[in-house]
Amino acid sequence: MANLLNDSAKQRTYDAIVIGSGISGGWAAKELCEKGLKTLVLERGRDVKHIKDYPTTNKYPWEFEHRNEIPYAIKQENPIVSRCYAYREDAAHFFVKDVEHPYVQEKPFDWIRGYQVGGKSLLWARQTQRWSDFDFEGPARDQFAVDWPIRYQDLKPWYDHVERFAGISGDRDGLPELPDGEFLPAYPLNIVEKYFKQQIESKYPGRKVISARCAHLSQPKQIHIDQGRVQCQNRVLCQRGCPFGGYFSSNASTLPWAAKTGNMTLRPDSVVHSILYDDAKGKAVGVKVIDKNSKEEMDFFADVIFLNAGALNSNLILLNSKSSRFPNGLGNDSGTLGKYVAFHNYSARISAQYEGHLDYTTEGRRPGGVYIPRFRNLHKQEMDFLRGYAAGFGASRSKSADQSGFGTDLKESLLNPKLGLWSIGSHMMGETIPKESNYVALDANLKDEWGMPQLKISVDYDDNDAKMKQDYLDTMEEMFTTAGFINIKRNDAGQAPGLDIHEMGGVRMGHDPKTSMLNKWNQLHSCPNVFVTDGACMTSTSTQNPSLTYMAFAARAVDYAVKHL
Amino acid sequence: MNRRTAIKQLFVVAGGMLIATSCDSGPQATSIALNHIKLNKADEDLLAELTEAILPKTDSPGAKDLNLHLFVMKMVDDCANPEDQANFLQGLQQAAKSNAKNQQDWQSYLAALPAEDAFVSILKRRTIQGYLNSEYVMKNKLIYELVPSRYNGAVKINA
Repeated sequence: MANLLNDSAKQRTYDAIVIGSGISGGWAAKELCEKGLKTLVLERGRDVKHIKDYPTTNKYPWEFEHRNEIPYAIKQENPIVSRCYAYREDAAHFFVKDVEHPYVQEKPFDWIRGYQVGGKSLLWARQTQRWSDFDFEGPARDQFAVDWPIRYQDLKPWYDHVERFAGISGDRDGLPELPDGEFLPAYPLNIVEKYFKQQIESKYPGRKVISARCAHLSQPKQIHIDQGRVQCQNRVLCQRGCPFGGYFSSNASTLPWAAKTGNMTLRPDSVVHSILYDDAKGKAVGVKVIDKNSKEEMDFFADVIFLNAGALNSNLILLNSKSSRFPNGLGNDSGTLGKYVAFHNYSARISAQYEGHLDYTTEGRRPGGVYIPRFRNLHKQEMDFLRGYAAGFGASRSKSADQSGFGTDLKESLLNPKLGLWSIGSHMMGETIPKESNYVALDANLKDEWGMPQLKISVDYDDNDAKMKQDYLDTMEEMFTTAGFINIKRNDAGQAPGLDIHEMGGVRMGHDPKTSMLNKWNQLHSCPNVFVTDGACMTSTSTQNPSLTYMAFAARAVDYAVKHL
Repeated sequence: MNRRTAIKQLFVVAGGMLIATSCDSGPQATSIALNHIKLNKADEDLLAELTEAILPKTDSPGAKDLNLHLFVMKMVDDCANPEDQANFLQGLQQAAKSNAKNQQDWQSYLAALPAEDAFVSILKRRTIQGYLNSEYVMKNKLIYELVPSRYNGAVKINA
């Protein structure tokens, strides 16, 4: 019997375990497998195979029962996910429904999740701006959170590494606040965006308007073809999953690459309960899993564990990993676990119209967008709020028809739409300050269907966010006015934190084990064979979209783990 | 009867909607099953006249040809909130009392309703939506490209 048990445990033993198959877990899996480690990848959701499991990807608009609208009853049942811009009939199957996975909101927080193999990498907005030392030095310069234990130079080779493989399009703009990378050709600005760029860059020194760097194959290289991916076909239906592999996702890229090594075992439907800590050995030894369907509990073992469950779920798993050594959650000697959660302030946007360049329009579709890098408080503190914001920008021109009347004239009008004025839009992407009072914790009573404590989220905006939002609206309005845009409409209707889908922190990196959870290699200070390389590790939020940085952290940490453990 | 004909008689595919004989089939039943609102065949026929009045057959298909009345029913049933559903049903009942006999009468009837009338705004919006997103229009009139494979940011318009 003892032998049988040993054999069974042996079968459940790997060199490494990766918890989560999203954008950072996929990277951890690829790197571990490529370095020869037998790796178990645990994913709580169902399997989604590239192309095969994209049921809506080739559908025409008329093939959607409700023409892509989410029915009223479903919206009523799932108000949180229904607020997400991408939750439409064509991608609804990739989103977690509120009713299926409840959580506790001490304050309003729209937690948008994708529980399947590939996670939210299927659904992301594919924006990949590098962080710079203006970001990594931010907390030290402006005296908030704790100092990042790394600088840009530590991450640069790993940005290079992940960009080459993922395929990032962009221009080399030469901006210290937005370092250049290993880029494929950029998606061009259109004629009005170029006009705005010229206006702003000539009238506001220090402000830039550039092509946003994005994870699309504008011109694939051999490494992308080797992944089975081809050029992005400008469908801009990315949230359905791309049959061309035109954008980067775990499903199209890292996971099949990891599988090809023969070293990966992917186990979908595996809800991770906790990481197992062995007091005698003084390290983590494995992971407790609950099978999503059978509810059966089972343990898996490995020398190295990568936690990539998604920022808040990585917090949840550590909080739930209790042992006599770590009664308050694995690695939580500092008491900071679950605290200093932050996000991006996306609560304002502004729109306008433009009457110029009416002898031009655009044709086709473009996956990328336009980006205004942060300029506020960049070189020194100059405003009455800390940090700053980047902004998305776009100009487009569409046709519309007079819809008045009934009958033949109406029909004729609908079939002959006319080009209107240019539509202009921008949205803010603000840095928020991590605070101890913005936290997640285990709810004392409520459990989910698998017996896991529900996550209690208590995260809110603060005065700094309000001042920054006001400045964004005032500044953009001024810039729009300068450019001659008309009918400027400010929209600060706001949204709850979370809907930015850039929640970060709770397991932050830092120099000091007394005030942080992870060291500069993303290892838990007090349990170094556990690495956290998703959004949970972030010490501060920057203004840039964070996914590329998670990828770089994951690849860098694997390299370190394999060399040193 | 060959298999193809049999299938044709069982199902008519109208833009993603499978029109099958519903469970409570009978002369009173609508062509598509409804989950939230109650309509009968007479309502359906009336809606067909109304949508045809909005977008009539010309040298190209009209609302009836494209089953837009079924699309309107589907959207009101599944996507409208209860208040809009009630307003829509009430407006439809009002219309049923009209003496309108032909398309022109129906156009006059709709045009005489106040612009803010909930019934006519829902009816018209959904009819237009169904039309512009129909397979016919998207394949033959205002071509929808699933795979554009290009972006040109400065196309000179030949005025």
